Amino acid sequence: MQIRTLKDALSFGDLPASERIGFILFIIFCLIFPWIIKGGFAQAVMIQFLIFCLYGLGWNLIGGYGGQVALGQAKNVGMSAYTVALLIVRWDIPFWVCTPLGVLVATVESFVLGYFLFRLRGHYFAIATIAVSLVWQQLFINWNFVGGARGIELPLRETPNFIYMQFVSPIYYHYFAFVLVMIAILYMNWFRKSRLGYQLRAITANEEVAESLGINIHWVKVKTYCITGVFAGMGGAFYTVYYNYIDPFSVMHLELSIMIALMTMIGGAGSMWGPIIGAMILIPLDRYLGAWLGGRGIIGVDFMIYAMMVMIISAYEPKGIWGIIEKARRKR
Amino acid sequence: MALLEVTDLTKDFGGVAANSHISLEIEKGEIIGLIGPNGAGKTTLFNCIVGYHKPDQGIIRFKDKNITGFKPFQTNREGIGRTFQLMSISGDLTVLENVMIGSFCRTSDRRIAREEASEILNVVELEKDTEAYMTELPIATQKRVGLAMALATRPELLMLDEVASGLNPKETEEMVALLQRIHEAKGLTLFVIEHVMEVVMPISQRIIVLDGGQKIAEGKPKDIANDERVIKAYLGEKYAKGRKNRGSI
Repeated sequence: MQIRTLKDALSFGDLPASERIGFILFIIFCLIFPWIIKGGFAQAVMIQFLIFCLYGLGWNLIGGYGGQVALGQAKNVGMSAYTVALLIVRWDIPFWVCTPLGVLVATVESFVLGYFLFRLRGHYFAIATIAVSLVWQQLFINWNFVGGARGIELPLRETPNFIYMQFVSPIYYHYFAFVLVMIAILYMNWFRKSRLGYQLRAITANEEVAESLGINIHWVKVKTYCITGVFAGMGGAFYTVYYNYIDPFSVMHLELSIMIALMTMIGGAGSMWGPIIGAMILIPLDRYLGAWLGGRGIIGVDFMIYAMMVMIISAYEPKGIWGIIEKARRKR
Repeated sequence: MALLEVTDLTKDFGGVAANSHISLEIEKGEIIGLIGPNGAGKTTLFNCIVGYHKPDQGIIRFKDKNITGFKPFQTNREGIGRTFQLMSISGDLTVLENVMIGSFCRTSDRRIAREEASEILNVVELEKDTEAYMTELPIATQKRVGLAMALATRPELLMLDEVASGLNPKETEEMVALLQRIHEAKGLTLFVIEHVMEVVMPISQRIIVLDGGQKIAEGKPKDIANDERVIKAYLGEKYAKGRKNRGSI
């Protein structure tokens, strides 16, 4: 059984050749990127791109395949990020021990919230996730033990340190993030062929019919939400050691949740490559355009372009860029 | 012991009794028709048995187990399958994948689910359309896919909701023949809600008639067709009176 699961995760044989080639090109690009492009800013954007891939791939499970507008990914990121940061700062626990704990906290939090929130449907669910995110953020802003609004700064080590994942060169972070994204992609590849994947798509299409086919809708949603929490937790743990600093505005912010959701929707929610395409477009756009325009004193234009894109795509093709690609392919 | 046993079932929607004090029994291997004019409470009765509604009163037993108040996914796991008038699940999935969702009810192994799904598609004669997408198919084929999906959950009792609505006479005939074949091949118990008499009359061993939320008649198709109360419910009192005077159909 385990070997089969692994085989399913590693086999991309059922995808069209063009997708497989695209995937290989993506891997090659990620592998050689730090050796070709030496600019610090570019490398930072690349790492952000990878983090957002991870967030997006996770959100795509519940938001794309599951069709649930969950706008609380940031709180899962934050839960894990804070757990890792606190454990390192207060008890000096190695990163490799903190991370599983951080992911666990994010997952448990997802389970508890999911268990109650999935009693709600549609817009009510979306609003409830927003409300919970805001509550968490306020809580962390006002909670002194976790640094309050000032956030937490990790102690700097004198030499590069593998145990605490502290390096001078971004290359290490780049590859670490890349490994996380690859794990996420392999998981997605298994997921889309799995029972859970099919059941979730059935729920998205028609809950009534899904229920009549023996699917425990509530439990499937909660389970998926937990997996989403795992992805966000991994991202959060990485974020903490990469930036060495977190505060409630960077990891708990509603803006982050919305960014993750919109990015996935633009790329194509409910498809395997959608979140990656979304991140590939939006993250560089956001960072470069933001920096370029900001440097000229024109603030906010990048947000306008960004909003325009969201509007055009949602009006023209609700399944995002991947939906456009699929349509063109089916026509042929 | 009856396969399904409904005792004194009552369901109220804000003061309107959609079902009142309905009792019925279905034996293993039977085909039972459920007919009645619009608003008679047929679908409500179905939904109560399957678990979409919780009955206000009464007991539903399946295989001698009390399943009153079970959720739909639980009744399905007990062995009650159902189809919907429109059952298309997803335009993004192929016919085979749609049926696999049903198979996944009993197994978590993708390969087994796939095998079972294609077997069932052979049974409903859709082996040519396995790779088609739901939205590309005509309504008659979609209905068959719906039937296949319900069958894939391996029910012992299959409840069919208006399986012939939207079909032309020829398609209806084919559907009836298909149902009969499935019934004979698998010994499956069928409970059929239907408007179209041509579907229920030839295949049912027994017919239950609802009107105004109450069971008004039960019996063999032939007797039901001549039953005063049924004709009255369906065609109005005037027609029934005139018919009585003439003394024949």
